[in-house]
Amino acid sequence: MPIELLVQALLNGFALALVYVLVALGLTLIFSILEIINFAHGEFYMLGGYATYFGFALFGLPYFPTLLLAIVVVGLAGVVAERLIFRHLRGKTLNAFIVSLGLLWVLQSAAQLSFGVLDKSVPSAFSGIIRAGGIIISVERFVVVLAAVGLIAVLYAFLQWSRVGRAMRAVAQDADGAALQGVNIEFVSMLGFAIGCALAGAAGGLLAPVFAVSPPMGALPVVKAFIIIIVGGMGSLPGAVLGGLLLGTVEGIGSLFFGSAAVNVLGFLMVIAVLLVRPRGLFGVA
Amino acid sequence: MLPSPALRRALTGYGLLAVASLGLPLVTRDSYYVDVATTILMNLVLTMSLRLEMSTGQLNMAHISFLGIGAYASTLLVMRGGYSFWVTLWLAGLAAAAFAVPIGSLALRVTGPYYFLISFAFSEVVRLIFNNFFVGWFGGPSGLVQIPKPDPLRLPGVELTFVSKVELYYLMAVLLLLAAAVLVRVDYSRFGLLANAIRQGDLLAETLGVWVFRYKLTAFVLGSFMAGLAGAFFAHSHQVLHSSDFGLEPMVLLVVFTVIGGTGSVWGPVVGTVTLTIVSEFMREFHYYEILLYGGVLILAMLLVPEGLISVPGRLARLWRRRPGAETMGVGVAP
Repeated sequence: MPIELLVQALLNGFALALVYVLVALGLTLIFSILEIINFAHGEFYMLGGYATYFGFALFGLPYFPTLLLAIVVVGLAGVVAERLIFRHLRGKTLNAFIVSLGLLWVLQSAAQLSFGVLDKSVPSAFSGIIRAGGIIISVERFVVVLAAVGLIAVLYAFLQWSRVGRAMRAVAQDADGAALQGVNIEFVSMLGFAIGCALAGAAGGLLAPVFAVSPPMGALPVVKAFIIIIVGGMGSLPGAVLGGLLLGTVEGIGSLFFGSAAVNVLGFLMVIAVLLVRPRGLFGVA
Repeated sequence: MLPSPALRRALTGYGLLAVASLGLPLVTRDSYYVDVATTILMNLVLTMSLRLEMSTGQLNMAHISFLGIGAYASTLLVMRGGYSFWVTLWLAGLAAAAFAVPIGSLALRVTGPYYFLISFAFSEVVRLIFNNFFVGWFGGPSGLVQIPKPDPLRLPGVELTFVSKVELYYLMAVLLLLAAAVLVRVDYSRFGLLANAIRQGDLLAETLGVWVFRYKLTAFVLGSFMAGLAGAFFAHSHQVLHSSDFGLEPMVLLVVFTVIGGTGSVWGPVVGTVTLTIVSEFMREFHYYEILLYGGVLILAMLLVPEGLISVPGRLARLWRRRPGAETMGVGVAP
């Protein structure tokens, strides 16, 4: 097999996987702060997609300001969801699961009722291709990758060095301990939830021109995000990035040899294989 | 000697279930109601057995896969092997249990959210296998059709047929009552007590000498056996199988029924399944708003009664006893 084909497949796998890493980072951030698995996370991705559709395709705003707008709007939606619902469910994983399912149905059917069931296509913001050797990548995918990497870097810097980011990590480690040190838990969990949702919104905005926008569009990325965070270890940010790269590798190379159904099975088999060797995921802590 | 209050409650509950399920066709034989009731009874086997697994603190998102394994096993044994439904019914349960042993042994090494997610991964693998692999056996994306109904059962003196909806309903009712008898018996046994202990603190239980893994695996295998039985009924009453019958959506409904009903009691899933099925049948009136309202109901129910609907009478009774001016104020009020 020519090496170009292999590199091309890997690049294609990575480009999507990096966006799914954004979704996964949001999920894992919310999990580490509130100890809940938000099944409605894909619906915030969907909201990001629609925000981009309205701003960019309908009102003709430039692409990057639209993306920023999508991030802010979805972040605010996250604030509302956390204040109204999820703050009452800290640590109640099972109840939060049912509630997030309810929220998933509410948001999805609200989107259907207000935006219609049909797919809305968003025009490409960038055209053209880049050639390097025998490898071809569209400018659009290249921008998606750059933006995703940029957002991951900003998130990392924020959590690592900012005061609020450190408070967030403290709450993730031990909420009671953090509260005793004067960390405002309510504020941190609100902000954490909002940032998690905003990341999903950004992912939706980035992929809106690549795929079409539709009410059930959040289902696929959220399943991919689940695979990524189990492989990487729940609550671990480096784990999510590594899990995403692994998933991209497996799906990219797998798509050279198998059909799409078998590639989906490969992702789940990877999950099972990793958990057999490292039950908490690659970077997970007990 | 009078039976203990716990035993009395168990017998009363079981009696009510038996009277309600066996008596329904005497009240109505309308095919719509009988259809809905049959689905409720089949879901009761699934939610009650799911609750058995949850009583050890594990939410198994692959429960629906064992319904599928039972359904496909029974269908293939009947259609390819020429066996009678009355044999394959039990073989379907055994097949599900046989798959449950290795899957459970692997998955139960992890707990909490990790178990939730790994069991979800297993269920997707099983569903994708039904949908895309061994197409000659499982029918691929188009599924299996023309599955025969259960063959007549020849008992000494009588021959029972299972063709009409009411006849199939009675078959399901008997299966449910068998399964419920086992599950209620287990719940009020040493096993039930230990399962509760494991849920409340598995490390503590382990230090007290409880072989936690064995109890979790036993619950998992027993629960899967029952799902497999239900699967055989599902296949031969619907007569059509498709991989999406065993996907995330029906699984999520089972969890919703169980948790909204309440996992603290063996009767929680019964309350949840019956109530929510009736609620969703009423909500069909609202057409486009059906799913929106249903989602809203779930959110409100979980925020208002986090312990499930089964906890409502107890809560009301406590409120009643604590009402201002109550004679027993402060006496015998359990926290």
